[in-house]
Amino acid sequence: MGTKRTGARAVSRRQVLGGLAAGAAITGFPHIAGAQAKAIRVGMPTILSGRVAILGTSGRAAVQLAFRQINEAGGIGGRTLELVDRDSKGRPDEAAKVTRDLINNDGCEIIIDGEASSGAFAVHEVIRDLPVLCLHTCSETSSLSADPKLHVKTAFRCARQGIHDAVAGGTYAARIAKEKGLKRWMTCSPDYAYGRDNTAEFLEFAKIFEPSVEVVDQVWPKLFAPDYTESITKILQVKPQAIYSALWGGDLVAFIEQSNLYRLFANIGFFSGGLGDPPVLTAIKQLPPGLNTAYRYNRNYPAKPANAAFADGFAGIAKHEPTNWAWQCYTACLFIAEALKRTNGSTEGARLAAELKGMKLAAPFAVDDAITMRDTDHTIIGYPVAWGRTVPKAPYVEDFSGVDWAKIVELETQWKKGKGYA
Amino acid sequence: MNLEALAACLSSASCAVTQVSTALIVGMLLFLVTSGLSLIFGVLGIVNFAHGAFYMLGAYLAFTAYALSGSFLLAMAAGALGVAVFGVLFERLIMSRVYGRDILMQLLVCYAMILILDDGVKLLYGGEYRMMGMPDAFALPPVEIAGGFVPGYYLFMVGVALAAGLALWLGINRTRLGKIIRALAINPQMVGALGINTTLLYAGVFGLGSLLAGMAGALAAPIRTLTPGMGVSILIESFIVTVIGGMGSIAGAFIAALLIGFTRAFGAIGFPLFVDGMMFAIMALVLIVKPSGLLGREAA
Amino acid sequence: MRPGPLRSGLLPSGLLRDLALALAALAVFLAVPVVFPQPALRDFLIYFFAYGLLAMSLNLLVGLTGLVSFGHAAYFASGAYVFGLLMQSGRVSIPVATLAAVGGTAILALVIGAICVRLKEIYFSFITLAFQMFIHSIIVTWVGLTGGDQGLRGGIPRPPILGLDLNDARTLYGTCVVVFVVCIVAMRQVSQSPFGYTLRMIRDNPARANFLGVNVVLMKLGIFVFAGAMASIGGVLLALFVSGAYPEFAFWTTSGEAIFMIMLGGMKLFLGPLVGTLLLQTLNHFVTIYTEYHGLVLGSVILLIVLGLRRGLADYLYDWLQDRRARRAPSAPVPEPVVKSRPV
Repeated sequence: MGTKRTGARAVSRRQVLGGLAAGAAITGFPHIAGAQAKAIRVGMPTILSGRVAILGTSGRAAVQLAFRQINEAGGIGGRTLELVDRDSKGRPDEAAKVTRDLINNDGCEIIIDGEASSGAFAVHEVIRDLPVLCLHTCSETSSLSADPKLHVKTAFRCARQGIHDAVAGGTYAARIAKEKGLKRWMTCSPDYAYGRDNTAEFLEFAKIFEPSVEVVDQVWPKLFAPDYTESITKILQVKPQAIYSALWGGDLVAFIEQSNLYRLFANIGFFSGGLGDPPVLTAIKQLPPGLNTAYRYNRNYPAKPANAAFADGFAGIAKHEPTNWAWQCYTACLFIAEALKRTNGSTEGARLAAELKGMKLAAPFAVDDAITMRDTDHTIIGYPVAWGRTVPKAPYVEDFSGVDWAKIVELETQWKKGKGYA
Repeated sequence: MNLEALAACLSSASCAVTQVSTALIVGMLLFLVTSGLSLIFGVLGIVNFAHGAFYMLGAYLAFTAYALSGSFLLAMAAGALGVAVFGVLFERLIMSRVYGRDILMQLLVCYAMILILDDGVKLLYGGEYRMMGMPDAFALPPVEIAGGFVPGYYLFMVGVALAAGLALWLGINRTRLGKIIRALAINPQMVGALGINTTLLYAGVFGLGSLLAGMAGALAAPIRTLTPGMGVSILIESFIVTVIGGMGSIAGAFIAALLIGFTRAFGAIGFPLFVDGMMFAIMALVLIVKPSGLLGREAA
Repeated sequence: MRPGPLRSGLLPSGLLRDLALALAALAVFLAVPVVFPQPALRDFLIYFFAYGLLAMSLNLLVGLTGLVSFGHAAYFASGAYVFGLLMQSGRVSIPVATLAAVGGTAILALVIGAICVRLKEIYFSFITLAFQMFIHSIIVTWVGLTGGDQGLRGGIPRPPILGLDLNDARTLYGTCVVVFVVCIVAMRQVSQSPFGYTLRMIRDNPARANFLGVNVVLMKLGIFVFAGAMASIGGVLLALFVSGAYPEFAFWTTSGEAIFMIMLGGMKLFLGPLVGTLLLQTLNHFVTIYTEYHGLVLGSVILLIVLGLRRGLADYLYDWLQDRRARRAPSAPVPEPVVKSRPV
């Protein structure tokens, strides 16, 4: 925090003075030539205000933790990493502007994109124009990296990807459905592109692995709806055996608590794509046991000392458990540091991108040995896509069962062919 | 469209009971928020765009009081009264300075208030999701009525909202103070000439309207997620209700809130993909056919 | 047609002087990147142009005609989307796509306006808001065409126009300057035309306008369509610059922001909204750099302006200048600025 504040202020004061003197509001300051500057500035456009502020604040805390550790260990050949974060307020045009400013005006040589959905695509287009290295750390939309038409040479995704979760979720759900004879399914997902795509893909794979799965009805509450009563009572009327939900964040917290009032989970199996995020789990006062959820983050999985150390270090800064966005941002920092080491500190976008392609990183979150940045489509594989079951007390989710990544990649390839991406 | 499902639901007692209760649950909290908005507009002629932020404030005050004291009643009181006090201060210190000016000035002041309150909440509580928690008294299985199920807390919530609405209606239509307030809405100069302190009354009415928003927020705190910016969606919904019911009409707000509640509850069964479109269509239709709303006074 | 009560502005009504000023503004804006070559300043100005057109066009409704529209961003977004979709189809050039975006938006504004302008006061505001929510929900729901909440993806291509390569940041900036100044001049001409004075009369006294045989509904519809078309050009500029179009363009917050720009700048002066746009954009730019609690800062600044100055910044300066002039020459009659409070 400290370094970032002073750094940002120094430039800004010059900006203000220049602006006053010349009558122009923004004059900025030209790049300090990369090799001489003491610190390598990394810009982070993200959402720090409004309903999803936790996305940005938790991602930022993870980057602060990573940079502190990297700098304490001697930095990159004596140079330190310095974070310049900026709020886009969740507006894509603002995200584009802020990203351009970070690169053009604040001398940021690398971008960690902490924007969700549309904002990530806006940043993606900026990077096409200004080709610095960019790591998307929040967008899970598959097309961002899977669609070759959208490919940008220096942009990478260091975040989970919808299609991977769909394969893993479908595999897990099919197994439980077979064991418990869950045939009649309903879905309850937020009514927007991510909610609909995510739900459709989950069902597609669940049906492939267990053909007896039948969808009897679907409800689509609005995104950020405060009240889910009509969806819950509709579920009560239809009486399915299992529900899949792509709800996340605060929406999911409200849905679970309101469902509790109706004892909804007493007889119905619940499968959630978003429940595994620790802030969601801790916000829910009455967490019902035995709900099935995808991994978002957990300090006990993968069971590695480095993972627990990360959780402790993160909690020291943010005062709460890490989020899904936190481990993704932290991993992105590790990728950046490793790439910088391999280029001897050169921040040129093309050189860093060449190093990142296919890079294997022994991150604390790797399910096997390493998380790999796949060179063909610039997205990570080998990260945790396990599913587990809830317990009312910390650590809230247990019994994680992973899915073999070879199988995920195989089905992902088929899916890409079907979409015309490969 | 699935009108068969709708017919089947209406003919089954259990389904009908559950969905009617859903309509009441959705509608009554909305009514509580809207009645405050409508009261302020009816008497002061002010569109309080910061009403949603007041609702949020009520929820956070209740959350804090419950966390500190563990008493549900204290939490409700803190939410409702705290916001009432805040409302009075806001009216006296800020809002009263833009009376008689362009409605856009009022909008601007309210917008500033929303920004400040949202950021204030984030500063104090952080961006995390918060939930007040259900008091033990309500941690019971849902009540069974004719085969349909209604959670105890919702019965309480609907009861409180109905009682508040009834008290408000009686207070305005059956008491001397209510008569003065009604007179104030129509001819403030005359009321002032009769030696009644209109400034105090204005502040009082604004405080009462804010109290209703705070109470709604406090009632929602155990079942809805608390985040900065949570007031926005309720503000938009309560504007739809106000427009349909008629600006300034409490009874209109009640009918319109129920209309929205029933549309959502039975729409979820009969025409799930068209619920939002339906709400929009109702609003547009009302605006075109009778711009002043179902029970609103015709614009002078 | 008799002109309504004449309001003196900073700019005299003469076309020649308007054009001279426009040329001067054009020269200044074009010179800016030569004197200050920082790309961030160019970026900032392009945003200023885009949002400035939105605010200026909205003021044709709010300040000139007295129609407080809460849904003006719908046309801003429609411009961006029509333009973006046509460019992504790869079949048309930038000027053709721009004209189609303006034309398409004008038709949209005609249909919506035909319903809305019959309503008065706050009911007009609400129905314009309702239509904007409807258009926003169409954009979010029609994923196949618009990309839903993710927006138009994959970038908007910028093929060269008559040898001008818009992929070059300076050329793009220059083009935006020219478009912006031309649009402002066009709006100025409309506002100073007999049509513009009829609109002022409708604002100040609709009954009188009606008695004089003015077709009030038709006049209101005319300015509604024109303002929508002008807003769409703002949308085109933004889409061209950010290389995409997003549903947030059509969200009510964007309309709200345009209203705040007008209020902060002032609506008495023709260029008042631009002052507000500059103020809000500058505040936003610098405050965001210093703190994530920009809402707290922005809210406090707005309160200070509203409670301290009691009017927009440009209006305040204008009144102050008028006061001084009045004190210097007490004999000269000064037209009393009409402070209109709209009953709700």
